[in-house]
Amino acid sequence: MSGFTARKNLTRLGNMLLNIPMLLVILAPLIYTLLISVMPPDEIYRNMLIPSSINLNNYVNAFTHPAYNFLTFIRNSFIVSTSVMLGQMVTCSLAAFAFAFLDFRGKKWLFVLVLATMMVPGEATIIANYLTVSRWGWLDSFQALIVPYLTSAMGIFLLRQNYLTFSRELHEAAQLDGCNNPRFMASIVVPLSRPALGALGAYVFLNTWNQYMWPLLVTNSSNYRTVQIGISMLYDIDAESLGLMMAGVVIVIVPSLSIFIFMQKQLINGLMAGAVKG
Amino acid sequence: MKPPPHFAGAFQIFQESKGETHMRKILSLILAASLLLGLGSAMATESPTEIVFWHSMGGVNGEAIAKMAEDFNVAYEGKIKVTVEYQGSYDDAINKIRAAGMSALPCDVVQVYDIGSRFMIDSGWALPIQEMIDAEGYDITQIEPNIAAYYTIDGKLYSMPFNSSTPLLYYNKTAFEEVGLDPDVAPKNFDEIVEMAEKLTVKDADGKVTRYGFGMGNYGWFFEQWMGKMGLHYVDNNNGRGADPATKVVFDETGGAEAIFGVWKRMIDEGIITYLGRGNNDAKAAFISKNIAITLESTAALKSLLVNVGDEFEIGTGYFPNIHPDDEGGVSIGGGSLWMLASGNDEKQNAAWEFVKYMISPDVQAFWNAQTGYFPITVATHDLDAFKDNLAQYPQFGTAIDQLHSTAPQYAGALLSVFPEARALVETYTERLINGELDIAATVTNLAKEINSAIEIYNLTN
Repeated sequence: MSGFTARKNLTRLGNMLLNIPMLLVILAPLIYTLLISVMPPDEIYRNMLIPSSINLNNYVNAFTHPAYNFLTFIRNSFIVSTSVMLGQMVTCSLAAFAFAFLDFRGKKWLFVLVLATMMVPGEATIIANYLTVSRWGWLDSFQALIVPYLTSAMGIFLLRQNYLTFSRELHEAAQLDGCNNPRFMASIVVPLSRPALGALGAYVFLNTWNQYMWPLLVTNSSNYRTVQIGISMLYDIDAESLGLMMAGVVIVIVPSLSIFIFMQKQLINGLMAGAVKG
Repeated sequence: MKPPPHFAGAFQIFQESKGETHMRKILSLILAASLLLGLGSAMATESPTEIVFWHSMGGVNGEAIAKMAEDFNVAYEGKIKVTVEYQGSYDDAINKIRAAGMSALPCDVVQVYDIGSRFMIDSGWALPIQEMIDAEGYDITQIEPNIAAYYTIDGKLYSMPFNSSTPLLYYNKTAFEEVGLDPDVAPKNFDEIVEMAEKLTVKDADGKVTRYGFGMGNYGWFFEQWMGKMGLHYVDNNNGRGADPATKVVFDETGGAEAIFGVWKRMIDEGIITYLGRGNNDAKAAFISKNIAITLESTAALKSLLVNVGDEFEIGTGYFPNIHPDDEGGVSIGGGSLWMLASGNDEKQNAAWEFVKYMISPDVQAFWNAQTGYFPITVATHDLDAFKDNLAQYPQFGTAIDQLHSTAPQYAGALLSVFPEARALVETYTERLINGELDIAATVTNLAKEINSAIEIYNLTN
């Protein structure tokens, strides 16, 4: 073994020693949640950290009891979050492309207008949106959950800023070579902006996954209900069952964590590419 | 058995098609299928009336509701079909009705919390239960009078009580025995609580308190309850129960708020209690984990307390404590009731009424009580074996029933449109008092001022 690899291993060891306590601190609430969800009910209030035995009843109950239907909720949340994520990636990147590369009259004003919508808090428009959606007869359907969120000023802004870092000559050169805008978009802009797109995707997915008020308003039946409403179904002020609630939280966290693991490679690869090219 | 005429026709076509072209065969199959379908839809005209029930019960309570609705659908098969839909917490559900009510009423029966009553009346969407009772001649004496009193305004029962609870005092009997107190005697007022709490307090070698004798959550509901215990009104216009809604609070004039905040201040200053946060969750957890020996909680929490405590210690129950030893008022109920919405569709309204009656029938109420710990609101439930068995199993619940029966209906509690807001304000000001930001007099004046302006805004805009 050469001295170089030995030193590298030492650094790695040092990193690990530093990171593991950090990791434990950050993960502590999650681990405690997991532990409570498998704890026999009479141990929860005895200041115990580690359950004396593993009790999976809470999970069985959350998945199989007809009053809650977590499999359906998770499926619905996946459908809604994925659709919104893909929708925003498409619409925001197209709009950002226009704002970054194309020249047209009133571009500046239009962009300011788009940004202005960010200043309107969602709570202010929720009732108006609800009335619109209900007049269209969309209540209790997937489109009511998906369509209002198919684009966002935040996403347009984020991608536009990213596209502005690409040199304009790139676009001009492509045009000179006879590459039209859609092809330029597909073969140059999208691959180059992968980290930004990935970040937007993860952000949008999680935001949609965590929505509560809108899904509660526009859906009534459990056929279209999403996971966050599922969690609140497990809670009752007068009949609190901590174990069941924590099991619900764990069930809901796992899929949203998986999106990070799935996106991680994308994000890191993209960041590295940027770092090397400068 | 002879097949009906169109069936016979279908058979004939089949017979004729023998040996003929393929096309003909397929056509005849389609024809037969469409005839069968036609028959199916003809039978379906006798379909049940569909109604929708919105509720806010989570956890085991939600499981119980699901079961009751399922049983109802079996009992009324072919006549009425109820769909149960969970709508988030009480606050979420009432906000949803508020939004939905602007376009079309979304359900036929909805569970609304006690403090949403005035809003429901003012909204004009509700169909007063009294109208159904009068139309049918339903015997209203079946309903526990002290519970019905809360939902009766101007002699009219607006909604059907469903999940009702009162506050109760819970104490750790085992700890009482340890320190030589009689485990069968619960404290009745705050003088007694202070006296007992001093004995029950346990300190470790460093003088740090490991068990407080008493502890309670900062819960706006208790404030309203103590007002009733002192026999005082919370707001004007007959405590908000007159023909006109309340216009201002009166607790700042009657000395009621001063007395309640006085108790808080005294307990904190003398170190008898430690602040356990807003709401009841922390106080409940502290009681279960033996960090406090006496606490205040809803009757509906009894079951979850018993389950969580297990055989760690024995739980005793007592009446919700008086502020002064000689208070003669009583507790009022909290929880929720079933509101019928005026859809204008008689068939649906009648179906909804059947459902409401089913939900309060003695057997269903006995089941509901056993599953949740809410009061059985129908008097006849008390005679059922299922209820007696439950009471024998949880004798602590008997205290709750005695407390309810010993209260006169005139202490039914206030009605106020902005109660959710007022409750939050009470909690905020209790906190400011405890933090020493304000003295008692300033707390009372500022609190009254803020609630009054909320009432004023509501009355102006509605």
